Amino acid sequence: MNEKQKSKDDYLWDGSGEPDAEIQRLESALAHFRHDSELHPEPIWTEITSLAHRAGWRARLTFPRLAPALAVAAMVLAAVLFLNRPEALPPVGSSIASWEVSRLAGAPLIGSNRIEESGRLAVGQLLETDASSRANITVGKIGEVEVDPLSRVRLLQARSTENRLALDRGTIHAFISAPPRLFFVDTPSAIAVDLGCAYTLHVDDQGVGLLRVTFGWVEFETHGQQSLIPSGAAAITKPGLGPGTPFFEDAPDALKTSLEKLDFEKLGPQDRAQALHTVLMESRKRDGFTLLNLLREYHGMSKSERTLIYDRLAALIPPPPGVSRAAVVRGNNYMVGLWWDLMGVGHPKKK
Amino acid sequence: MALAKTCEIEWKTTRLKNLTDVAGIDFGGSINESRSAAAPPVIEISEDVRLVNAARDGNRTAFGELYARYARVVHGILLARVPPDEVDDIVHDVFLHAMRKLGSLRDGAAFAGWLAAIARHRAADFHRRSREHVELPEDLAETRATHPEPHSILAMIRALPDAYSETLILRLVEGLTGPEIAARTGLTPGSVRVNLHRGLEQLRARLGQSEKS
Repeated sequence: MNEKQKSKDDYLWDGSGEPDAEIQRLESALAHFRHDSELHPEPIWTEITSLAHRAGWRARLTFPRLAPALAVAAMVLAAVLFLNRPEALPPVGSSIASWEVSRLAGAPLIGSNRIEESGRLAVGQLLETDASSRANITVGKIGEVEVDPLSRVRLLQARSTENRLALDRGTIHAFISAPPRLFFVDTPSAIAVDLGCAYTLHVDDQGVGLLRVTFGWVEFETHGQQSLIPSGAAAITKPGLGPGTPFFEDAPDALKTSLEKLDFEKLGPQDRAQALHTVLMESRKRDGFTLLNLLREYHGMSKSERTLIYDRLAALIPPPPGVSRAAVVRGNNYMVGLWWDLMGVGHPKKK
Repeated sequence: MALAKTCEIEWKTTRLKNLTDVAGIDFGGSINESRSAAAPPVIEISEDVRLVNAARDGNRTAFGELYARYARVVHGILLARVPPDEVDDIVHDVFLHAMRKLGSLRDGAAFAGWLAAIARHRAADFHRRSREHVELPEDLAETRATHPEPHSILAMIRALPDAYSETLILRLVEGLTGPEIAARTGLTPGSVRVNLHRGLEQLRARLGQSEKS
């Protein structure tokens, strides 16, 4: 190998020696693809931190304290199971696993029995109203539920730790004053979880539900999907699809119509793009809450859709420090949570 | 959330002091690392061990140093395998995955090869997932209009055997030197040298053919 060739080899190897013009041309042409040194590692660390917080209990389980921890867990589990053991189904009229029902209008039925002035709805029983009847249920010591005409309600559980109704069809108005997650209403496609609130829940004959929150917060959940609905907002839920994106009831009609299409209809690419465009363009600052929900992981938005949503939301409500566009677009719910604090809706009560 | 915020504030107040102590790294801006300032591999490895141990203990500064040291390597490995538009996102994924699994890495000295393997796996995952959705065009040169020459050169490099394309991209695109490539991929310097020479030879042949046609 001659000196000149060795010098060129050195340039290929470590950049020393005589520069090779061809390699320089390649380097120059390909510089376009080089890693962007301005990219920060901080969003990655923020994501790692959030994952570590969520996984903290798992990490701790790997320590040698595993055995005592499991023993304690087993004792706690046994205690919980004991306290929540099923109670024997009492006869109608018992005060243990039944709720008082009073007639508000017409002749509501419990099972096949008409309620004259009041009666008791036991676990497993059905309360039904016709077109002219209404009823009021006293939910233990935690609240009241008014049942509108043409409704069908079943009592599924009446315990100190869980109070659960099923609304098969019709409309109920719930007024609950209790710690969160004590009162539940099952609908054909989602469960309404009380987080300290007043709300109206309607289910039509097709099983489509509409939840409207008038005070506090309600969570709609199904198959691990959770949708938090604040006061003034509503959400639709449909069989086989679950709850849609929460929206404020005073939002522009065009936004609500397009949002429903996005959530529940199988749209072609052009229609879908148009629906999203309408949602984004019609959104007011207050509707940032809806856009933020669209960015949540389970909503199934494509990357390009998430980018559009991010940009519109950022224009309405600039993201806080530590929130990166790339990470949110990639589905970083932790950063979505940081942004939530700026939406002006507060947070539901914790148990 | 509150705990995370506390951590964030703590991090922000301490990071400036910490990072100014770390030579060559500006966590809030660019990464200053010149090609000619390549450290000898043995020092890089012992430094890796220190950084890996510190990052494993939750030290952000150490993580920042590992990122500064390896981001270009991960980027280059991915660029050899996935569409350029997707590379940044997958770099993010690779570091995220690596940091989460750092506890399973027994020997910090093996970090370079371990991280490179994660990057290659992630690239393979990307193609598996992509097949479920949309077939990616094989010939990038035909699909790019804005920078035809760089894309056609990149496509030619990517068409070379993996060992050659990866090493050439690390050298020609990411600007790493041969010794740096060896230290940061776990390959021997001899292998890197051979890959560079043979890869460049094959690339020249393809470029020549391309010019003729």
